[in-house]
Amino acid sequence: MQYKFLSPCLLALALVAPGAPAQTAAPAPPAVDPATVQALKDMGAHLQSLQRFHVTNELTGERVLADGQKLQHMASAAIDVQRPNRLRVKMSSARSQRELFYDGKQVTLFTPAQQYYASVPFEGSVGDLAGALQAKYGFELPLADLFVLGTPAAPLDKLDSAMNAGQDFVGDDLCDHYALRQGNFDWQIWITVGSKPLPRKLVITNRADEARPQSVSLIEWDMKAVAASSAYTFKPPKGAKAIDMVARKAQ
Amino acid sequence: MTKSSSKIFLAALALAALGSLTLATSVEAARGGGGGGGGAGANRASAGGGGGQHAAAGGGANRAAGAGERKNVQATNAHADKRTNEVRNTSVNNVNVNNNNVNVNKNVNVNVQGNNNGCCNNGWDNDYHPIATAAAVTATVAVTSAVIGSMVNSVPPSCVPVNYGGMVYQQCGSTWYQSQGPQYIVVNPPY
Repeated sequence: MQYKFLSPCLLALALVAPGAPAQTAAPAPPAVDPATVQALKDMGAHLQSLQRFHVTNELTGERVLADGQKLQHMASAAIDVQRPNRLRVKMSSARSQRELFYDGKQVTLFTPAQQYYASVPFEGSVGDLAGALQAKYGFELPLADLFVLGTPAAPLDKLDSAMNAGQDFVGDDLCDHYALRQGNFDWQIWITVGSKPLPRKLVITNRADEARPQSVSLIEWDMKAVAASSAYTFKPPKGAKAIDMVARKAQ
Repeated sequence: MTKSSSKIFLAALALAALGSLTLATSVEAARGGGGGGGGAGANRASAGGGGGQHAAAGGGANRAAGAGERKNVQATNAHADKRTNEVRNTSVNNVNVNNNNVNVNKNVNVNVQGNNNGCCNNGWDNDYHPIATAAAVTATVAVTSAVIGSMVNSVPPSCVPVNYGGMVYQQCGSTWYQSQGPQYIVVNPPY
């Protein structure tokens, strides 16, 4: 009798037990941590407030081969910005060196090795330019996110997940580390602590492929070594040849 | 763990911490006043973390300072295994400006031929032209006069250079070339 009475009790205990610790622990945090979103907003606002700056990007990217083996490559870029509408970029990758000039009236892509340049008229902010080059010419600016974070072009309401991942050093700079998930992209960003938050490192993991190719961008800032205003206007070197910039064809 | 052994453990930890401090100081001293970019390695080394990815990216930090000041030497893929051209996907560099990457990637194996951006994203670091898979190469050879993926030292003077997707191509009738170091490589038509 006693035994028969006990077993339903045990059963009840067993049923209750797994749930018990959850009741005493804090409720699960929301998938999108509001403080993380706020940190991104603060950094975006600070980025948009910078009028002149020089920033360099050292990028490590990956290619996935047919069988899933990955190859890593590197590229670097040096970027000068004078808001609202001046941009100069030098891009170095394994097999090409390219320069971009934008002076608020026209944008030029120049390849020094071949002395070819292609110019098209454009008016708008550097953020507008980043979007237009991508949409019309299929051309991506290095650190393109920098030019749109803090503007409506980079909405933060599409995040599936956002969390604070603690602190870490990037170079000598103490940074807050955040991890985010957005569709097929997982991204991590390291933002310097303090009242002038700047991104120092950006990692993007592409989950569209099971090999998960990943890019790692180290970002260095220099607010003093800024380019002269005249450096944003392209002046063709002697002997350079103008070529067409062909709009991207739809697939 | 007993009390005494935990003491020994703590002492060892302290020693290790002291050791890494000394290391960091000497690295600091060796670095001297040289540039802002080099510090990354020292911190990572003392923190003891970081995988290969870190090391690769960190090693490059020094070079960033000299971006665009590269010596007049060219990298070439002349000796690269042809399998390195069979790229099915790549990493992406930004999450906001080209979110359409997500859609491009879905069709990666269908649209490889006939578009320089057919594979993957068109990241600014992406200066190799996906020549397409072995099967596609065979198919393309039939309709072009030059073998896709072959290298030449110069292109005919009648070729027309264009900038497409941020890269310079030479169109010579139905044959397209992309410069690769000192040479040109025959590629599928980018458009």
